Amino acid sequence: MNEQLAAALAAEEAAIYAYGIIGVKAGQETEARSAEQAHRQRRDYLVTKMERAQVSPAGYEMPFPVTGRAAALKLAVQVEDGVAQAWRPVLAVTTGAERANALAAMTDAAVRATRWRRLAGMSPVTMAFPGRAK
Amino acid sequence: MRTSKTGPTRRRLLIAAASAPALAGCDAEPSPPPPPDPLQPLLDEALALAAAYDRAIAADPGAGARLAPLAADHRAHAAELTKVINPAANPSSARSAAPAAPASLREAEQSAQRTAVAACMAAPADRAALVGSIAAGRATHAEALR
Repeated sequence: MNEQLAAALAAEEAAIYAYGIIGVKAGQETEARSAEQAHRQRRDYLVTKMERAQVSPAGYEMPFPVTGRAAALKLAVQVEDGVAQAWRPVLAVTTGAERANALAAMTDAAVRATRWRRLAGMSPVTMAFPGRAK
Repeated sequence: MRTSKTGPTRRRLLIAAASAPALAGCDAEPSPPPPPDPLQPLLDEALALAAAYDRAIAADPGAGARLAPLAADHRAHAAELTKVINPAANPSSARSAAPAAPASLREAEQSAQRTAVAACMAAPADRAALVGSIAAGRATHAEALR
């Protein structure tokens, strides 16, 4: 289980980092701040569940340069898709409250990705199987 | 020595005696139909939702661009569920409960999401990811309809 949790933790850390940039560039600071806060709570939850503390990587590289609003919204979609993908394998290795939490984390990320797609004017705004790699 | 030797024999006889009436009962009555697969309600809902979107699009073709992808998602769910549902399970008993007409597509999605969350919580490990994605997908539909 630790392997799956570590992947979810890495995705949450990346999301927290990315939202620092998205909030400024996308012109959606309130939305970005609330998303960042949600990812911080998931990160804190994962840290309490991990058998040993993980050392955060020193820095993150953005998948593409975030130069303006369109790129920032695209990054937000990519970040949330990545978080949903990281939580999905946790479902199979958990039961009860831990599975409920993993499902809530995956669902919240998928819902935020839909919201960002709508803000970016993308179509469609949903995918059939959130969390499944495309 | 003696009791330890006869003990198991007596126990075996007792077990045989206890199970005999049950076996006889099975022979006498027609065997009950197999229970429906636990994911059958999810499949029924996916097909009902896809049909509901089709009806909404037929009534308002202008909404097609927005609603057709959601109908397609439900059909993709139905296709995946059909693959994993045990073919020996009985589909008819679950289908008998016709879903009540919801006040709106959004309410139908929210209700369907609750079904999928409960199914995910009850699912064995090998079905949890698929059912979880269906639950999350239904949540994104409710968001898309806001």
